[in-house]
Amino acid sequence: MASLRDIRKHISSVKSIKQITYAMKMVAAARIKKAQGSILAARPFAVEMDRLIADLYRELGEEDLSGTPARELFEERPAGGPLCLVLVTADKGLCGSFNTNLLKAAAAWLKENRGRKICVMAVGRKGRDFLRRLKGLDLEIKHELIGVFPKAGYVHAQLLADAIITLYHAVPVQSVTLIYNEFKSMMAQRIVTDRLLPLKSHISGAAAVRPGGGDFSFEPDKKELLSALLPRHLTAQLYRTLLESQAAELAARMNAMESASKNATELIEGLTLKMNKTRQAMITTELNEIVSGSEALGG
Amino acid sequence: MEKKRLILTIVTPERTVLADKPVDFVTIPAVGGELGVLPGHASFVVQLKEGFMHYTEGRNKELFAVLSGFAEIHGNKVMVLAEAAELAHEVDEERARQAYQKAKDSLAIRGADLDLDEANASLRRAAVRLKMAEFRRRHKM
Repeated sequence: MASLRDIRKHISSVKSIKQITYAMKMVAAARIKKAQGSILAARPFAVEMDRLIADLYRELGEEDLSGTPARELFEERPAGGPLCLVLVTADKGLCGSFNTNLLKAAAAWLKENRGRKICVMAVGRKGRDFLRRLKGLDLEIKHELIGVFPKAGYVHAQLLADAIITLYHAVPVQSVTLIYNEFKSMMAQRIVTDRLLPLKSHISGAAAVRPGGGDFSFEPDKKELLSALLPRHLTAQLYRTLLESQAAELAARMNAMESASKNATELIEGLTLKMNKTRQAMITTELNEIVSGSEALGG
Repeated sequence: MEKKRLILTIVTPERTVLADKPVDFVTIPAVGGELGVLPGHASFVVQLKEGFMHYTEGRNKELFAVLSGFAEIHGNKVMVLAEAAELAHEVDEERARQAYQKAKDSLAIRGADLDLDEANASLRRAAVRLKMAEFRRRHKM
C-alpha cells in the first residue's frame, strides 16, 4: 500500500499538471475569439474576390484565355504527372485528436496515390515531422511553413501561394490537393480534402449572372488582369484555410485541455479520499497499539 | 433631388476598412496612373499599385495608403480589394519612422531566428506609411 507521503506527492504533481492544463485552456479560449474574428474579417475579401474573378471569367471567352499564364491554372492537366499535397497541421500538440486525425487523412490519401511521385507543402511542425518520418514513398517536401500559428497572417498565405504557383509552373503537377481542419464549431472540427488547382471547378460553379453587367472596361487588359487576380485568389483561399485551421486548432486545444483539467480534478478527489483513508487507518492502528500497550502494562 | 454619390467599400484580407461609405470623389492609384472617379463613372476594373488613395466626402478629405490590389467600379459602387490599406490619420509618423528603422536593422543583422519575410513585409509597410505621412504634411491634410 502506498504511504501517505507518496500519495501527497502524487496529489501535488497532479495539481501542478492541472494548473498547466487549465492555463492552456484559458489561453486557447482567449485566442479563439481573435481567431474567429479574423475569419469573419477575411470573409468579405474572399467573397468579393470570387465574384470579381467569376465576372471576369465570364467576360473572357475561352479563346481569349489561351496562351496566358492564367490559362494554365484553369486547364485540366493530363493524368500521370506528379501530385502535390498541401497539408495544414498544427505546430504543437496537446490539442486532442486534431493532428492525429489530419495525419490519418493524409496517410489515407498517400496510400490511395501509392506509386506516384508526390510533392508536399507542409504547414505546421507536426505535419512536417510526420512526412519526414515516412519511408518508402516517392515523396519530396518542397516547401515548409513552420511556426506561423497562432499568428497566421496574409503574408504567410502569400508565401505559400507563391511556392505553390512556382511549383505548378515548373513541374507538370497534375493537381494540388489541400488537407486541413475546418472550424465547424467550438466543439467540432471537420477534416476537409479539397482540390486547390486546377481552378476550373471552383469558379465556373460560383459564377452568378449579375443584372445589368457586361460592359466593363479593364485596365490593364483582361488577360493580364486575370493573370494578376488568380494568384491572389489562391492566396485568399489559402489565407482562409490557415485561419480555419488556426481556429480549429485552438478549439480542439480548448476542449482537450478542459477535459484534461476535469480529469485532473477527479483524480485529485480520488487521491485525497485515499489519502484520508490511509491517514485514518494509521491513526486507528496507532490508537490500537497504545491502548493494547497500556492494557498490557496496567493489567 | 439628392446629389448622386459613390458608395465606397475597401476590404483587405485582414479586415474591412470601409464599408458602404457614401463619398463624392475618389482617386485610385491604378497601374497606368492615377484614376479619379466621380459618380456616374463607367464600369471599370483596374489593378492597383502601391500608393495613395483619397476620397472626399462633403468637406472632409481622407487619405489612404493601399498596397497592390484591385478596384471595381460598377454602378456608383467602388469596391477596392487591397492587400493592405491604412487610413492616413491612423498612421503615426514617428512610429512609422521607428518601425522603418527597426525593420531595416533587423534585416541588416539577420539573426538566425529571424522571420525574413515578416521583416521584409514590415519594411515595405513602414515605407508606405512614411511616404504617406510626408504626403500629408505637404498637402496639409
